[in-house]
This record gives sequence, structure tokens and C-alpha cells, in this order.
Amino acid sequence: MLTQAKQLLKTRDLVWAWTVRTLRGRYQQSALGWLWAIVQPVATVAIFAVVFTRIVPVDTGGVPYILFSYSAVVPWTLLSTSITDMAMSLVQNMNLVGKIYFPREALPIATLLARLADFGISFILLIILVIIFRIPVSFIGLLYLPIIFLIQLALILGLGIGSAALNVFYRDVDPLLKLIIQVWFYASPILYPISLVPEKWRWLYFLNPMAGILAAYRDVLIYNQLPGNYLLPSAIVSLLIFVVGYWFFKRVEFQFADII
Amino acid sequence: MSPVIQFIDVSKRYNLGLTRASLPAIVTQWVKQALKKGRDSFNDRKYYWAVQNVSFNLEKGQSLALVGPNGAGKSTILKLLAKITNPTSGKVNVDGQLSALIELGAGFHPDLTGRENIFLNGTILGLTYKEIQKRYDEIVAFSEIEEFIDTPVKRYSSGMTVRLGFAVASCIEPDILLVDEVLAVGDASFRQKCIERIKKLLNNGTSLIFVSHDMGLVRAVCDRAIYIEHGQLQSIGTSGEIIDQYNQSLEKRRIEKMSLSDGEADVVEGGVEVTKVEMVNAEGRPISEMYGDESIEIRVNYTAYKDIGRSNAIVLIYRSDGLPCCNIRTHLDHFSMTIEKGHGEYSVRLDPLQLYGGMYYATTWMMNADDSAGIAYGTSEWFEVKNRAAGRPAHIAIYEPNRKWSQNKTIAAELPGAILKD
Repeated sequence: MLTQAKQLLKTRDLVWAWTVRTLRGRYQQSALGWLWAIVQPVATVAIFAVVFTRIVPVDTGGVPYILFSYSAVVPWTLLSTSITDMAMSLVQNMNLVGKIYFPREALPIATLLARLADFGISFILLIILVIIFRIPVSFIGLLYLPIIFLIQLALILGLGIGSAALNVFYRDVDPLLKLIIQVWFYASPILYPISLVPEKWRWLYFLNPMAGILAAYRDVLIYNQLPGNYLLPSAIVSLLIFVVGYWFFKRVEFQFADII
Repeated sequence: MSPVIQFIDVSKRYNLGLTRASLPAIVTQWVKQALKKGRDSFNDRKYYWAVQNVSFNLEKGQSLALVGPNGAGKSTILKLLAKITNPTSGKVNVDGQLSALIELGAGFHPDLTGRENIFLNGTILGLTYKEIQKRYDEIVAFSEIEEFIDTPVKRYSSGMTVRLGFAVASCIEPDILLVDEVLAVGDASFRQKCIERIKKLLNNGTSLIFVSHDMGLVRAVCDRAIYIEHGQLQSIGTSGEIIDQYNQSLEKRRIEKMSLSDGEADVVEGGVEVTKVEMVNAEGRPISEMYGDESIEIRVNYTAYKDIGRSNAIVLIYRSDGLPCCNIRTHLDHFSMTIEKGHGEYSVRLDPLQLYGGMYYATTWMMNADDSAGIAYGTSEWFEVKNRAAGRPAHIAIYEPNRKWSQNKTIAAELPGAILKD
């Protein structure tokens, strides 16, 4: 494990170069460029806002619905885009994987970093919105942010790296993943508050790690309160997924060049 | 001194066909089985041994060529050395930093500029930003694309892409360099530059594993070679020995093909064999080096074990990369040959030779009376054609025609100077 970490450190220039490559490739020939990072979540929120304030009003606990949904859509977009991208990262670069040796994790990790750049941009807009709507935010709450973020990162890394490896063997992973993410979206508190989930099913609901992660983001950023105990199962499940995903990747990576 | 590469009894097996059975395929199989009670076709998977029990060592600073026909397992050996794939059994030990010129420009992103791709490709090959920065000027100079360095690579010609790829990959100065047939692309002068680059690396202590079908290159670059066929190591020796062996096996295959295309199972037993094919100069002495404007003769000695009567002969000259340069036939030249029992000789004078500088060899076929089937075959040693102007690279052209330059003296004419001025 330690030697692996060392090796990864040695390839950090490769990870960085690949991140830059991915971002350049994505935005070089586009007129809006990095603004796309905001356009997507903002458009999503605009649609939700129309539906869930005018047509089916949702109780947000006094917070403007725009802020309520945007605060969850931003981390959700990071998860959904990065996992689907990561799953394709090895398969899309077959000629590289089959012809040159380099630490294979570099590709999915760089893909994640490129999506993190988008996340950063849309997160800045989230902070601006929090300030505009004059939402009080506590200092201790902000200290929780990096912890919540790390839990989410572990979840994404585990799922993304695991599916990148699995996708080499079964191309079903990509469509299946898209299907899962679609279902997962409705199983997570994005459109609605957790208070809508019946009390007796909460324990089951929080086995979905994204439920805890999104609830924690909201508690800290728009409800000015600290995340509750519900974050613990999210952390455990995320960590478990990370370990399993990474272990699987390492176990099968020597076969990539032969099968891809 | 311990070897930098140890390849110990290595085998590599590949699965043929589908890597994974899809669900519909499995269901179809079930249905078929239920109906027919046929045997389970998933159990008789086909395997293919790309490399079988191959062992060799490479010492520091040595160069080794892998020689063999297509599909012999050469590229698989390189992949095993580069850790791209793992051996099925055996052990591969590599001691030192390794760089592989296997796919030049793999990993170039078409939307990025040449400059950005140098850094990207460099990091893929295991360099850090700092190391690339240090070598950046050298890479650009070598690739000869200074003026396009800030142009996206998608606008490059394929030659430019390959030049940039080679420049990045070879600037690493690795302990071990793997080169796989990459020099086949690019023009002759760039090839020459690449060879010089590789030789310089060798002199600085880099060890080299070289794969090429160009025997001239193999001879120029490598001291030793191994011959591989069907994934098995056939022999190991100096590059000269191995090249001869390779050519012999190529010819054997050619003979087999020739007799097959004639609808016959074996080579026609002609009762005659070629004992020697040699190049001789104007004085009749055998030579192995000559200039293209010299007059030479290709002389063939044969032994006939019976009277054959009317027959024909073909003489072919091949360049080191396998290019057939000439194909001369007695049949077409209306020269008739008669072979009687005993030793004999026939020859063809090329006056002058007219080949451009490079390594060549000649082969000859003795043919039956109507020139439809071969009855005996022979091949010469390598010979080198030198260029009069020293330092001109080989392979830049094929032939040097007989020539006479001239210039017509212009007749002095009144030309209006005003037009030129404007």
C-alpha cells in the first residue's frame, strides 16, 4: 500500500497533465468554455424551481427553493458526471493502455480531478447564492465541509475506479451505471427534504450514502446547523465502497492490456 | 556484471475469440444444448501461445534484435518487458528505467498543441515536469517542428506527429530502450537521424531491444540477435548469423508458396542445386562492396545430378528492407540455357549496377523449360553498395541511372528590363 502511494506520488505530474488535457479537450472548441460548469446545474435548478414552487410546492423549511435544490444539485452533479466519466476513462484510451505502461489509476483519477474543477466553479456560485440570500452560516459548520467533501470523494473514487475496471471486462457497465444514477437521483434528497421520508424508514434511507452527504451539505450551508449522526453510516458505506473499488481495480489491472 | 534484462522461461497465452460470453449468447447456448444435447462449446475455448518458454539475458550497453516473421511473438515480448502485460508463466526481470518506442505519439491529444503534448506524452512515459522542461529545447530541435509548436496536433501531418513522438520518447535517455518497427514511418533523412540517436544512446550505456523487418537496420544497430518463430526461440547469435537464418527461412517460405501456387505439393525435384551466388567485379574477383556506377556480374554456380536440358533462370536483387529492386529473367530476355550433368555456372552482367547506396542481396531461381516452376534456388551473401558522395544516407533512393547532364546555352535576347524592375 505504501509503495503504491509512493508510485502514485511519482505520477502526480501525469495525473495533472491528464487533468489539463481533459479540461482543454472539453472546453477548447466551445464558446461558453468553463461556464458550462455552471450552466448545467443552473438549468436543472431552474426547471425544478418552476415545478416545485408553482406546480407541486415543497416545504423547504423557509429556505428559497432555488438555494434548497442548488445546494444538493452541485454535489450531485459532481457525483453523477465524474462516475460516468471515470467508468469510460480506461476504455476510451484503449490504445494507450494497450501500448504504454503507466500507473493505470492515473486515468480515472485525472478524470475525477477534471470534474472537480467544474465542481469548484459551481460551488463558488453556491457560496455567492448563500451570501445573496443572507443565510447565516456558523464557523464550526464550515469546518465540517472538508469532512463531508472527503466522504463524498471516497464514495466517488471507489465507485468510479471500480466501474472503470469493470467496464474493461463488461461494456454493460456504462449503460447500467446511467440507469443506476437515474434511480439514485430520486432516492436522494435533492428535489425534496428528508422530512418527507417516513420516520420508520429513515435508517434504510440513510444507507444510501448520498442521502447523508447531501443532508450534511444542506445542514451546514443553508440551515446553519451541524450534521447529525446520520453522517456516520454514510461515511462507513463510502469508505467501504472506496476500499472495495480500489481493491478490485488493483486485483484486475494486470489484465487490462490483454482484454481491452 | 548482472544483466539488465532477464527473461526466464517466459510463456504468454492469449484467449482467442470473445473475451466474455454475453447473456444472449449464453441463453442461445442453453437452448441449443437443450434441443440438441450437444457438447458445451464454452468448454473448448481456444488458446493461443504467443510466446513459449523463451529465455534470454541482456547486459548493460548491449543491443539485441528480435528477428522473425509476422506473428512470431516479437511484439508480445516487448509488451512483457514494458510491463504492459504479465506473463502466463516464467519471470521477467527488468533492472532500470525503461522506455518503449512502441507506439509513437500514442496519447497525443489532437486538440492540444505540440508544446502541451510534449508535456502530456512525457509524463505518460514517466518523466516529471521538471525533467521535461530540461529537455524541452532538445525535443523541439530534434522534431524539427519549431514553427508549429503552438499549433494543435490535429493539424500536423503524420510525419510531423511521428517525429514529435520519437523526439519525446528518445529524449528520456533510459537504461533500457525498446524499439518496435517505429522507424518504418517517417522519411529517409529522419530515419537516419533516429538511427544516429539510438546509436548515441547505446554509446552512453543504454541497452537496446530492437524489432524490425529491415535487416539492414538490424545489422547497423545490433550486435546480437535472437530468432523467433511461432512464439519459440529458435536460435541466438550475432546479428549477422541470425539475419542469414531469417533470410533462409523467408526464402523457404517463398518456395513453399511458389510451389503451392503451381498446384504442386512439393518443390519440383529438379536434380540440380545452386551451390553459390556471388557478386564479382570486372576482374572476375568476388566482392562484397561496390559503388553503384561500377560494372558487376552476378555469378551462380550449380551442380546438376542429371541432364536437364532446356531451362531458365531468374535473378532477383532485394534491398535490406525486403524491397525487390530488380527481377531479371532469361525467359524474357530470350536467352536460352541448357543444363547438363555436372558442375556449371551462369552469370548476368549488370553494367553498371545502378543501385543506390544500401545493403542488398541477390537470389536466383533455376526454372524449368517453360519458366513455370522452380527447380533450384540460391541466395547470395549481403553486399553493400556505397555512395560516391560520402555521408549520404541509405534508402533515400532506389537507383542511380546512367546519366549525362546538359545545358542549352540561351541565345542572347533583348529583354525589357522595366518588367523585371516592377
